[in-house]
Amino acid sequence: MTTVLLLSFLVLLVLGVPVAIALGGASLLYVALEGNSPLLVVVHRMVGGVDSFPLLAIPFFILAGSLMNTSGITERIYAFALALVGWLKGGLGHVNVVGSVIFAGMSGTAVADAGGLGNIEIKAMRDHGYDAEFAVGITGASSTIGPIIPPSLPLVIYGVMANASIGQLFAAGLLPGLFMAGTLMVMVAWYAHTRGFGSDLIFSWRVFGSAWVEIAFVAATGGAAYLLWSHTELPRLLVFALLVGGAFAVNHVFRLRAYLPLLTPLILIGGMTTGIFTPTEAAIAATAYAMVLGVFVYRTLTWRGLIKVSMETAETTAIILLIVAGASIFGYLITTTRVTDDIASFVLSITAEPWAVLLLVNVFLLIVGCFMETIAAITILVPVLLPLMDKIGVDPVHFGLIMVLNLMIGLLTPPVGLVLYVLARVANISFERATRACLPFLIPLIGTLLLVTYWSDMVLLLPRIFYR
Amino acid sequence: MCRRADQEARRGQGTPLTNIAPNRPEEGPPITGSAEDDVDLSVYGPEDWVTFVLFWVLAVIVFLQFYTRYVLNDSLAWTEEIARYLLICVTFAGAAMAVRRNTHIHVEFLYVYLPRRLGFVLSTAVDVLRIVFFAVSTWFAWKVTVIMQFQRMVVIDWPMSYIYGIVFVGFLVMTLRAIQVAIRHWRQGGSELTRVAVEGRHQ
Repeated sequence: MTTVLLLSFLVLLVLGVPVAIALGGASLLYVALEGNSPLLVVVHRMVGGVDSFPLLAIPFFILAGSLMNTSGITERIYAFALALVGWLKGGLGHVNVVGSVIFAGMSGTAVADAGGLGNIEIKAMRDHGYDAEFAVGITGASSTIGPIIPPSLPLVIYGVMANASIGQLFAAGLLPGLFMAGTLMVMVAWYAHTRGFGSDLIFSWRVFGSAWVEIAFVAATGGAAYLLWSHTELPRLLVFALLVGGAFAVNHVFRLRAYLPLLTPLILIGGMTTGIFTPTEAAIAATAYAMVLGVFVYRTLTWRGLIKVSMETAETTAIILLIVAGASIFGYLITTTRVTDDIASFVLSITAEPWAVLLLVNVFLLIVGCFMETIAAITILVPVLLPLMDKIGVDPVHFGLIMVLNLMIGLLTPPVGLVLYVLARVANISFERATRACLPFLIPLIGTLLLVTYWSDMVLLLPRIFYR
Repeated sequence: MCRRADQEARRGQGTPLTNIAPNRPEEGPPITGSAEDDVDLSVYGPEDWVTFVLFWVLAVIVFLQFYTRYVLNDSLAWTEEIARYLLICVTFAGAAMAVRRNTHIHVEFLYVYLPRRLGFVLSTAVDVLRIVFFAVSTWFAWKVTVIMQFQRMVVIDWPMSYIYGIVFVGFLVMTLRAIQVAIRHWRQGGSELTRVAVEGRHQ
């Protein structure tokens, strides 16, 4: 009977039926043939699957990222990264990685990163005489940092499906994300060395110093916020007013370029990893902040622009959540039929060594990532793989990072590589050329993946500190 | 899947590209947003505007919750529950929007390897299966709605059938839009799936 469920799902999926409908349709068919429960349970479960407070973070993380892109904040981040590392050899390559790290602290998807910041970066790199392959490769690779560093849509979905703490998942992503950025910068330095790239900015203390001034202001604001919030008895309304007023006053007086946008990752990552904000609250705060910046401070957001961005956000939200809805009935059925236990015992009959099981799972996830979109893969595979991970004693938070990183690498591999499509279009090169361009950059990513898989302490260090 | 990539790429292209002058770093890139005045709002259908309104009501309520909890230190009890229900409404209303625009995520690599005629037959089957699923779901959503008349919400004394009623309407609109899209595909002699086969790749 379970064969019907799995087989009908796979057939529908490969036929090209939308993923959400393949999940719901296979479930309908199974429930109808099995005859034990009424069919309306399918619709009821689908609705119940979306009825979750953590999922509310999704629309607002998407909206915040899009608002940053439309209101020119992306350009400010780029300019900041340029001042900071543009003078290094292979400068724009480094700018690319640093910009992605900062943007990763504001947006939750790799595709938003590739479509927004990637667009600016590729154009600038081409103008400076970098070849298209290098530009596309580094932009693609650095955009996959986005969902590893919090906030992250894939990690929210994973947390909801695996019933794991999203705050802990976010804290777990921070170090691996920074490590990824580090390996990519080493890669850029190596390219610059072997190919003799020059720098893209003449080093000047004034420009370099200006970037550090902004960082100092951001750090000071963070410190002030922490002290006022945790170590004083002032009314919260006053603290809030002081912080917001202070930040805008500083920005106005010193005419800083990226100070206000740079506060976003501070608010989000600082607030969420330490548990002051839940992800949903952080998401709405970031949205409100991006709107204030776009409408009042930089005055770059128009009504029509806002309507367009909201429409796109609502649509993307619905597309993602309908998959979550379909996956919740499908996951419920495959769990109750205990087919997941069979799969786990089957894998363990091949090998019971945890490292070998992890290797098998990694290879499997990389292959799935080649063919399937991230959110769909997470919702379908979490109920299947989590019991197996449980049996070999892998922490669900650790496995969340492994899974998402695998699927991010899948964004850069054919035949279904969403980031590749976006970048091929932006750089105006063929899909095949973009694929080849990203190939060498998979080496540092897979290196990070191995480290994340086999060095669980790196992943779990921060969650242990913040969530004792 | 490629549809979404297209949108992302186009969204990116709306942004004025930044040029940097290499030897005058102090000026930096010009900073402008993509404040698009040429946004065409006529591409949106009635269900899109319904979704839009639901979405912004949701945003205001979630913000209200955040504000009352952190700033006033006294959170409103009803906001969390209503926000969760509104998310359900946005999902099923927005799903109708995505059916009309044919942007639901699907896997399409099979069609690269199929001959055109077979591809068309299969893509038509997909359109039909889609309609069947939506129609069946509409029917069951209605049945759940009827049952839920007597189930009350937790914090506010409203029947749960309000929420399921919107889910029902969402599925109904999805069914109608799916029929409309299927007819269009039939007349055009192909869909996004067969277009992949014609172009031989996903782009």
